[in-house]
Amino acid sequence: MIDVKDLHKSFGDLHILNGINEHIYKGEKVVIIGPSGSGKSTFLRCLNLMETPTSGEIIIEGDCITAPKANVNLIRRKMGMVFQHFNLFPHLTIKNNITLAPVKLGIMTKAEADAEAMRLLNRVGLADKADAYPQQLSGGQKQRIAIVRALAMKPDVMLFDEPTSALDPEMVGEVLDLMKQLADDGMTMIVVTHEMGFAREVASRVMFMSEGLIVEQAPPDEFFSNPKHPRLKDFLSKVL
Amino acid sequence: MDFFTGIWDAIDKALIRENRYEFYLSGIGNTLLISLFAVMLGFLIGAFVAVIKQLCSKKRGLGWIAKICDFYVFVIRGTPVLVQLLLINAVLFNYRGANAIVAAVMCFGINSGAYVAEIVRAGIESIDKGQTEAGRSLGLGAGQTMWLIVLPQAIKNILPALGNEFIVLVKETSIAGYIAVTDITKAAQYIGSKTYDLITPLLIAAVFYLILVFILTKLQKLLERRLGKSDRR
Repeated sequence: MIDVKDLHKSFGDLHILNGINEHIYKGEKVVIIGPSGSGKSTFLRCLNLMETPTSGEIIIEGDCITAPKANVNLIRRKMGMVFQHFNLFPHLTIKNNITLAPVKLGIMTKAEADAEAMRLLNRVGLADKADAYPQQLSGGQKQRIAIVRALAMKPDVMLFDEPTSALDPEMVGEVLDLMKQLADDGMTMIVVTHEMGFAREVASRVMFMSEGLIVEQAPPDEFFSNPKHPRLKDFLSKVL
Repeated sequence: MDFFTGIWDAIDKALIRENRYEFYLSGIGNTLLISLFAVMLGFLIGAFVAVIKQLCSKKRGLGWIAKICDFYVFVIRGTPVLVQLLLINAVLFNYRGANAIVAAVMCFGINSGAYVAEIVRAGIESIDKGQTEAGRSLGLGAGQTMWLIVLPQAIKNILPALGNEFIVLVKETSIAGYIAVTDITKAAQYIGSKTYDLITPLLIAAVFYLILVFILTKLQKLLERRLGKSDRR
């Protein structure tokens, strides 16, 4: 579903990604962990071209998003993204946050989008907030709305960039629960996180990144119980 | 003659006798006409320049458009508005024979546009880049993201500065008399030259400007309250 070939990214002299080759299959739940500065967020952000790779190829469901003539906006519709800082649109109500893109891109009529928004809001138990503004919500609620906003585009894959890092500890649970539901529904997910519990429970594959490379990956059982790379052993001994 | 009858006589002479208030009214009409269209023109030019600059400066090969925008702001901010007014009038009058009000609207609009462009640019830059990323990640184009997500928030942030700019613009139109437009100031001067009392008509003109600015300030506050709706908790 997602093919990454020899992906490099550098900011000036600073090399963030040093040649990543990876394939992600439909329905997989890939969790990426690693120390800060290892390039995991940059890798994720390269997938939907939030960052432009210095070199390399990324192919999403057969479309090469890194090709010069690629219709990036069209490919991005298939890839939902959830940010660390939610990035809800503060000038719009919750419902309009969700319906903005589907309506303006002509994918749904206003009525269809409203109905879809209410269906999704009901699902996450926030239907009563439809006409509230983002400022009136808690962090956990905001992040759940951000997930719903991405889902309203009916994406094939969801990218999560440290979705719980900016949350109060007591609100982390509600967001992770929603992500678990999503995983159970069969959504393809790529998650950058520091939540080892989530990786253990939900991931079908855990990747460890260090210095711009994926140095080790395995199913979670093996990954956590039998780490091989010394850098990963060191990392796990610090975070577990 | 005591003090108050003196004042009354001066006002009577400057405002009422021989229907002189009609001069002020047509002056107010012209001032309003010039201000209104210049504000609209200035806002359109300013927002356009700021947005184009923002969108083009990032794209390779389009950097020269951003340079043109910079040059426009540089020239307009670097020369006196009176010189611009006389220049534009001379050009329009010599080659097109257009009327002076059109020249004034063009001048004040183009002049204000440069300042508005800088204000809007600051507004756009004040919006977190996560907002743009969120818009683009949903598949919206760069223009759509700017128009639907960044600009509405930016305008809200810069409303006080914009209001200020428009108030300055209204008062700046008082130099339109230089190109023979009868605005409030020119009307006052004209009456002053007839009655040999310049002070009273000028004070009356000043009061009219105060009232105009007062109304503008009220409108601005009203708009700020409406756009501040999403801030309430």
